[in-house]
Amino acid sequence: MNLSGILIVSTPSAIDTLIDTLNAMPDLEVHHVDRDNSKMIVVQEAESIHDEVAGLKKIKKLPGIVLAEMVYHYFAEDDSLAPESIPDDLDEYTGLRQSVVPPYLNE
Amino acid sequence: MAQTRREFLKTSVAASAAATVGLPISQTAEAAAKETEAGMQWDKAVCRFCGVGCGIMVATKDGRIVATKGDPDAPVNRGLNCIKGYFNGKIQYGKDRLTQPLMRMKDGKYAKDGKFQPVTWDQAFDEMEKQFKKTYKEMGPHGVAIFGSGQYTIPEGYTSAKLMKAGFRSNNIDPNARHCMASAVVGFIQTFGIDEPSGNYDDIEHTDTVVTWGANMAECHPILWARVSDRKLSDEENVKLVNLTTCSNQTSDIADEEIIFKPGTDLAIFNYIAREIVKRDAVDHDFVNKHCVFATGPYDIGYGMRGTSKYAFDAEKDTQAKELKVTLDKYEAIAQRKKEGQVVEQNNRKKPVKHWQISFDEFKRGVEPYTLDFVAELSKGDTDESLASHKKKLQALADLYIDDKRKMVSFWTMGMNQHYRGSWVNEQAYMLHLLLGKQAMPGNGAFSLTGQPSACGTAREVGTFAHRLPADMVVFNPKHRARAEKIWKLPANTLNPKVGSHITKILRDLEDGSVKWAWVQVNNPFQASANANHWIAGARKPDNFLVVSDPYPTVSAKVADLILPTAMIFEKWGLYGNAERRTQGWRQQVNPPGEAMGDVWQGLEFAKRFKLKEVWGEQKVPGLKSKGYEDGKLPSVLDAAAKMGYSPEDTLYDVLFATADNKKVAWPDPAVAKGHGNHIAEKLGDGWFPEKALFDEYRQFTVNFQHDLADFDTYMRDDVRGLKWPVIDGKETEWRFNEKYDPYVKKGSGFDFYGKALKATPTGNLDKPTSKEKKSLAGKAKIFFRPYAAPPEQPDDNYDLWMSTGRVLEHWHTGTMTRRVPELHRAVPSAQVWLHPDDADKRGLQRNDLVWIESRRGKVKARVETAGRNRPPKGYTFVPFFDESVMINKVALDVTCPMSKEEDFKKCAVKVYKA
Repeated sequence: MNLSGILIVSTPSAIDTLIDTLNAMPDLEVHHVDRDNSKMIVVQEAESIHDEVAGLKKIKKLPGIVLAEMVYHYFAEDDSLAPESIPDDLDEYTGLRQSVVPPYLNE
Repeated sequence: MAQTRREFLKTSVAASAAATVGLPISQTAEAAAKETEAGMQWDKAVCRFCGVGCGIMVATKDGRIVATKGDPDAPVNRGLNCIKGYFNGKIQYGKDRLTQPLMRMKDGKYAKDGKFQPVTWDQAFDEMEKQFKKTYKEMGPHGVAIFGSGQYTIPEGYTSAKLMKAGFRSNNIDPNARHCMASAVVGFIQTFGIDEPSGNYDDIEHTDTVVTWGANMAECHPILWARVSDRKLSDEENVKLVNLTTCSNQTSDIADEEIIFKPGTDLAIFNYIAREIVKRDAVDHDFVNKHCVFATGPYDIGYGMRGTSKYAFDAEKDTQAKELKVTLDKYEAIAQRKKEGQVVEQNNRKKPVKHWQISFDEFKRGVEPYTLDFVAELSKGDTDESLASHKKKLQALADLYIDDKRKMVSFWTMGMNQHYRGSWVNEQAYMLHLLLGKQAMPGNGAFSLTGQPSACGTAREVGTFAHRLPADMVVFNPKHRARAEKIWKLPANTLNPKVGSHITKILRDLEDGSVKWAWVQVNNPFQASANANHWIAGARKPDNFLVVSDPYPTVSAKVADLILPTAMIFEKWGLYGNAERRTQGWRQQVNPPGEAMGDVWQGLEFAKRFKLKEVWGEQKVPGLKSKGYEDGKLPSVLDAAAKMGYSPEDTLYDVLFATADNKKVAWPDPAVAKGHGNHIAEKLGDGWFPEKALFDEYRQFTVNFQHDLADFDTYMRDDVRGLKWPVIDGKETEWRFNEKYDPYVKKGSGFDFYGKALKATPTGNLDKPTSKEKKSLAGKAKIFFRPYAAPPEQPDDNYDLWMSTGRVLEHWHTGTMTRRVPELHRAVPSAQVWLHPDDADKRGLQRNDLVWIESRRGKVKARVETAGRNRPPKGYTFVPFFDESVMINKVALDVTCPMSKEEDFKKCAVKVYKA
């Protein structure tokens, strides 16, 4: 699971519509809203880093968006990260050695 | 339960994000954030990607990175990160991560035509050493080379530069930063006599006018662009943004004006504005008289291609021929006060940098042909736009520059740097700002942005270029060599005065056999260099031995003979220097996987394998002609070394790195490390802290030498988020050359362009020097007149489209980190070719069609895109270079700016047809 906290700055007039639009999008939740400065924090949940990037791009394209950038990125439970690349005990670990020559190199 | 936990985590992520950017949060939310972050260890760090230098916070738990966030205390980004910021925490965890040395083997031994097999580090270094010594003995110091990087940490670049220059007595080390900003460097040195910007990013908040020239900041420097957007929105009426580009892009979205110009005609647009400044008598005469002189140089300087067609493919011979001779077209003839059709031999190819002072009247005569009518007709880049509309925009641009109530910042990156006249066009940006007296003060300045995280801090300041030594010194200056020899405790005359090969030349050297051993560090030159078919063939020549240090199997690794698995950013200690002179450091956060090791360690281990007697004896250097070296040889310095107490049996590790002084800098260093490890110090096991010792040694070059850095421990302090050099008495310098801010400025002068390089020149007229006597211009900046020159390759009947390469937001450079998964190279091509819809129609192409993009040099397949963020004008294509399955650099042209040797990736001619 990847969770990202995204700061959104919108044009003042668009903020209410945007909150509705964002909340209606799957895997997105609006959490904190600062109307005085037209800023809000949304949290996005995604399976993979690629989905996260795609999600942020989608947000950036919405009407009324001035800025949408990632602020916080939590990925402690991202299953797509290869567990074999961070072994605790290298001596007993064989995973790394099995894939040590990526086939691409010897094509 | 899982649902509850997920909701709880989301609350906590939202609260942390809000706190990071200063949004108010409730106590409940704050408590959730605290609970989630319990057990995470947060530490400050720097983003791995572009030259902006954003601060990030990295959280580790149980030996792995689990979260990252924007650093709210970082003055550069104030808590924000762009999309690439996502990758910082994850780039090291790709499935293809290399964790053991790999060598091409057959029957248990190294073989050029063998398959990659895992070997031990000892086996790897044994073969590397054997191959090095064979070549070094046969060809001398310039038969070997290092491809360096603007992504080196400062200690890494310093290790490699010292090993090459002081150890192997070779200047054949040059970084990929050559392709990124060498033109900017030449612009700085020529204009100010010292490298790097006068101002800093705070200029954005101080200014009311931002003009971008060949810089798609919205995609390539998003966080700075966020600051520009904020500035715009804070005062929408008054703050003006203009985007000058050859292809409509996202930076235009919030700009007040977008000016689409024809590739290369920025040279003419600058001169049009200069002419307007002169005509309207808007010159700040007081500033110019006190602080500037006028200058110019020769026009016939070639295009940085080989001077011979011997190695050219048949199809590229017509372009190559222009290196020696060009026929002036109508526009060039007017721009250079010559006749159309005149054939100009490029007689100053070997001395492109020479220049002389001219009078203001001569300068005026130079810009006189650049009338609005002439420049508008030449530069209009969108065939669908009317000439009147383009004219109006150019006039409005001149008005903005000239308005004396306006502050003005000009930003640029690769559009101006990667340019067949990149150094000229950089000089022209300063020309405008100096004429107007709008330089080196808050909100006023021409500012060169950078593309790599330490192109400034390492490639430039440490001097990992073929001609440079630390702190802006150069190898061909005897006083500079003597100073470096003193700090490095080398015998006199150890350093080699002959400039080495720049990065494109190293590739050419491998092709033509003048280099036979090369080591690629922290970059991917075989994907990132234009005209790549030549260089890939060169790498595979049977005589050549190529070592590539890389965390991932890149294109360069694939064409290597030996691959060394390498640690990534947060697996080691390091420092970077960003585009605003800010030096920033971080600690090792996690250990590298498997047997991967940091670049510093690789350099130090290799140094252990050389004794002084093998490298400091007499050496032949082809082409060496410097004064005192007329016999073409570097003298033996072994006797002098013995007098200094060195034994011929000492290794380069002992003499250059693990010196008595450096060994006093002890590891472990609990006060600085605060519980963080150091895999390099631990593996060396001889009790010193290499990154710290080497940084503090390097610092000696900078102090009291206009480049002052603080010491290592200062940069690691928790309350320091980088410092902009010169750092004097612990205080950083906000605006250089300005008496109010810069202690180096002579008191009472107001402004002092105190850089020391090229500060005495001959004098002359627009065409040539008339007096050889050199006239001093100490303390002054130069305002150059540079003419328009036509691009050497332009669309014709056969190759009928312009082609430019570049970046897209989500990927960085050759994509080896941001793509992370090299198996993708076999997948459907994912880099696209952007075409104007009418150009697609004309060729019977539709969006997503697979097409060939072909030039004189090669062809690649990609899919057509006619919509989206890049909107090229008719006749123009854009193809990003991140994707190794769309090796667009096989198509691109290896023309370079003859002064900076930086390649022009932005202009060549192609055809596009259905695959």
